[in-house]
Amino acid sequence: MEFKDKRVIITGGTRGLGRTIAVNFAREGAWVAVSYSSDNSSALDTDAELKRISTQSLTIKADVSSRTSVEEMMSNVLSKWEYVDILVNNAGIIRDKMLLFLNEDDWDRVLDVNLKGTYLCSRAVIKPMIARKSGCIINMTSPSALTGRISQTNYAASKGGVISFTKSLSREIARLGITVNAVCPGVITTNMTEDLDEKTKNDFLQMIPMGRFGDPDDVAGAVLFLASEKARYITGQVLVVDGGLT
Amino acid sequence: MRELVSNSEALCEFLKNMIIDTLKLEDITVDDIGNDTPLFREGLGLDSLDALELVVAIEKNFNVIIEDENVGKKAFASIKALADFVQEEYTQED
Repeated sequence: MEFKDKRVIITGGTRGLGRTIAVNFAREGAWVAVSYSSDNSSALDTDAELKRISTQSLTIKADVSSRTSVEEMMSNVLSKWEYVDILVNNAGIIRDKMLLFLNEDDWDRVLDVNLKGTYLCSRAVIKPMIARKSGCIINMTSPSALTGRISQTNYAASKGGVISFTKSLSREIARLGITVNAVCPGVITTNMTEDLDEKTKNDFLQMIPMGRFGDPDDVAGAVLFLASEKARYITGQVLVVDGGLT
Repeated sequence: MRELVSNSEALCEFLKNMIIDTLKLEDITVDDIGNDTPLFREGLGLDSLDALELVVAIEKNFNVIIEDENVGKKAFASIKALADFVQEEYTQED
């Protein structure tokens, strides 16, 4: 039970990678709060699973791009749990289009959720972390931020911003015992990759030196490592989990 | 707390102790900090990271929130400036 009674918030934690990360923390004894934006069905499902395996859990509807919504969520969590040990900024969206067709709303929405959301959620937990001189923030980024990707100018810019945010904030609060790192998952097996046609799948697989897509648990393992005592001297880093893709 | 805030001398003493405790300033006593001593740089030698901790300590002790950096700079100019700031904001909150 590596995270017994540690208090963890995972944004976008009711589906996909976020859910796997949440479940892994819960299995290790953590108190887990997950946020979701709109999918009530997966929220109910994840909520039931977390209640089954964790000591304490919360499932909260919140829009990470809205300051008032984030403050409400954090105040809800802090009023019950007093402080937060670990924040995983996982909530993210894509709106892939070639720049020529990428309208202002496509740009704004992706930047608002992926980058502004990371800023708002980090800012909302930072005071209790400073007060305790302890804490850990893990931001999810993407290989698109490192290499660029067609149709992802908005997404790549947002995730590149997350990396720069991570590095700057880590320097700002390193002395206060708070670590800030990023995890960069490559192509991970999710519903989205299962829907790909065979040719696209094979094209992806050819590019991955390890010859397979990542498993969500591969990513959760990296997140839990950065949140653990083993990583207490690691800050401002991007841990790439992509089978050698980048 | 209201009584403490309304007593300038006691408040200054409290703030000095709060700074020493929060920042774990082992070599400094209350007597080393004058009410007009600058808290940063050439004065007490605090830096911007210390300021973050003090912002949190002020909010915890007085429920007074410093959200603007310029407000913080003014408030943390000295113990006297900080006491004046707390008195002003604490009264406003009541």
